[in-house]
Amino acid sequence: MDIFGSMKLSLERSAFVSYELKEAINKTSLQRFCVFVQRRCIHKAAPMTELSAPLPYFQNAQMTEDSHMSNTVRSQNDGRERQRHEHSERRRHGNPESETNGQPQGGTRQVVEHDDEEDEELTLKYGAKHVIMLFVPVTLCMVVVVATIKSVSFYTRKDGQLIYTPFTEDTETVGQRALHSILNAAIMISVIVVMTILLVVLYKYRCYKVIHAWLIISSLLLLFFFSFIYLGEVFKTYNVAMDYITLALVIWNFGVVGMICIHWKGPLRLQQAYLIMISALMALVFIKYLPEWTAWLILAVISIYDLVAVLCPKGPLRMLVETAQERNETLFPALIYSSTMVWLVNMAEGDPEAQRRVSKNSNYNAQTPVNQNSSNVTDSDDGGFSEEWEAQRDRNLGQHHSTPASRAAVQELPAGASHMHEDPEERGVKLGLGDFIFYSVLVGKASATASGDWNTTIACFVAILIGLCLTLLLLAIFKKALPALPISITFGLVFYFATDYLVQPFMDQLAFHQFYI
Amino acid sequence: MRAEDELQAPEALAALGASALRKEEGEAAAFPGPSPGPRMNLERVSNEEKLNLCRKYYLGGFALLPFLWLVNVLWFFREAFLAPAYEEQGQIKGYVWRSALGLVFWLVVLTSWITVFQINRARWGALGDYLSFTIPLGIP
Repeated sequence: MDIFGSMKLSLERSAFVSYELKEAINKTSLQRFCVFVQRRCIHKAAPMTELSAPLPYFQNAQMTEDSHMSNTVRSQNDGRERQRHEHSERRRHGNPESETNGQPQGGTRQVVEHDDEEDEELTLKYGAKHVIMLFVPVTLCMVVVVATIKSVSFYTRKDGQLIYTPFTEDTETVGQRALHSILNAAIMISVIVVMTILLVVLYKYRCYKVIHAWLIISSLLLLFFFSFIYLGEVFKTYNVAMDYITLALVIWNFGVVGMICIHWKGPLRLQQAYLIMISALMALVFIKYLPEWTAWLILAVISIYDLVAVLCPKGPLRMLVETAQERNETLFPALIYSSTMVWLVNMAEGDPEAQRRVSKNSNYNAQTPVNQNSSNVTDSDDGGFSEEWEAQRDRNLGQHHSTPASRAAVQELPAGASHMHEDPEERGVKLGLGDFIFYSVLVGKASATASGDWNTTIACFVAILIGLCLTLLLLAIFKKALPALPISITFGLVFYFATDYLVQPFMDQLAFHQFYI
Repeated sequence: MRAEDELQAPEALAALGASALRKEEGEAAAFPGPSPGPRMNLERVSNEEKLNLCRKYYLGGFALLPFLWLVNVLWFFREAFLAPAYEEQGQIKGYVWRSALGLVFWLVVLTSWITVFQINRARWGALGDYLSFTIPLGIP
C-alpha cells in the first residue's frame, strides 16, 4: 500500500511539474532581470505578427506569436490592452507578492509602474507556458526519430545519396572529403534559397493555386510514400509478416485522415500528431541520405541562412511575412505547428469558421476565406473579450445581454466580483515544421553517428531545448517573427562536438580507470 | 459570418459554453496543470458546424476509412453524450452511433482477416508469399 501510495503521489507530483516549472520560472531572478530589459519594450501598441513562413521541404521557419495584423484591430487591441491592465491590476490585488501590498490606491506613477510589472509578468507567463507547450512536440519528434534510428537499421545504412548532394564523401584524402562536403552543402543551400525565392514570388503574385498544389503534393508524398517505406522497414526490423491488403488499408487510412486533418479540419491534437509524424519522417529521410560532414555543414549554413532570411529587410522570408501582413493573411498553415488553436482575446470570437481557418488552413485557397478573415477582423463587436471570459462573466454575474451601454458601464466598475482567470490559452506560439525537422536531424545524426552515443544524444537534446527556450524568450521580448533555428542549432552543434570529442573520451578514461568523480 | 451573427454568436456560445466550461474550470481547479486540451475547440464552433463536421466525417468513413470513423467517435463523443442538450445534438448522436457501429464492423473484419492470414500464411505457400508485403526470416 505504501509503495502504491508513494507511486501515486510521485505521479501526481510529476503531473504538477509543468505547472510548477512555470511558476518557478516566473519567480526566479530571471524575472527580475527580464523586468529590467523589458521596461524598454513593453509599451508597444499592438502585438505584431502571427506568421511563420516555411519552405515546402526545407522549412526555415520562425516562431511567432499569434496576433492580428490589421489596423482595424489595433483599436481592439488597445481596448484589450486596457482590459488586460485592468485584469492584471485586479489580479495583482489578490496577489500576495504585489508590491503595493494589495492596496488599490497609490500615485498614478505607481499604477503605471504596476502596469509595467504586470505586463512584464504577463509576458513572461506567456513565455514560460508556451515554452513548455513547445517542448512537448519537439521532444516527441526527437524521441520518434531517435527511437527509429536506434532500432531500424535502414536509416543508418548507406544507400546512396540524394541528387541534391552529388559529391560522395568516400574520398581518399581528408581534403577531398572536406571539399566535397562543402560543395554538397553549397548545392543544397542554393536549392533551398531558390525554392524560397520561388515561393515568395508565387505568393507575391498571388498564385495561390500553385502553392496549394505544391503543398498538397508534398504532403501526399510524405503521408503515403514515406510512411509506406517507414512501415515496411519497421516490419522488416521486427520480423513481422504483413499482407498487402492490411497494409493498403492502413496506409490509406493514415494518409487520408492525415490529409483531412492537416489541410481541412480535424481535432487539434490529431493535427499536431500528424505534423510531428511527418516532420519525423522527413528528418529520417535527411538522416539517411545526407553524408556526415555534409549534414553538419548544412545544419550550420541553414541556421545562418535562417537568420539572414528572417531578419534582413530584403530577406525572402521577411518579405513573405510582410506581404502576408499587408494582406492580413496567415501563411501556409499546413506547414506550421501551432501550439494551440488561435483563441485570441482580441480576435473576433463570433466567427469561429474563419477563425479556425486562420489558425489552420487554406487562406490562400480562394478569395473568400481571405474576405472572411478580414471581415472577421472588422465585424467583431464583442469588444475583444474572449468567449472564455464571457462565459466566466456570465457565471459570476448572471446571464445578461451585452450591449454597448452595459459594457461601458461594466468597464467603469472597479474590480468587482469577477475574478479573472488565468487566460490559459490566450495566444499560441507557432513553430514552423522546418524547425522540427532540423532539430530532429541534429539529434538523429548525433544518435546515429556519435561515438559518445547516448551521452551525445542527450546533450544535443538538452542543447536544443535550451535554445528553444531562449528563442521563445526573445520572442516574448521582441514580439516579431524570429528565426528558431540559429540559437538551437548553434548550441546543438557546439554540444555535439564538445561532447563527442571532449566529454566522452574523458568519461571513458574515468570509467576505464575506475575513477569516480 | 456576418456582422449580426457576430453579435449574437458570442452570447449564444457563451451560454452554451458556460456550462461546459464550468466543467472544464472545475477540472482545471482540481488539477492546476496545463489548460484543457482540444475539446475546448469544439466549444467555439456553432452547432450547425458541428453537425456538418460530424456528418462529413461519417460519410467520409464509407470510403474504406474506419480510422475516420474512430476519429469521429472520439471527437464528438463528448458533444453527443456528455454535453447538455441542444438542437442538433440528436443528429450528432445518431452519427456517432453509426460511426461506432461501422468501426466495430471494420474491427471485426480486420481482426479476423489478420488472424487468418498470420496463422495460415505459411501453409498457403505461393499464395501466402504473393499476398505478403514482408516475409519474416527464419522458420515459420
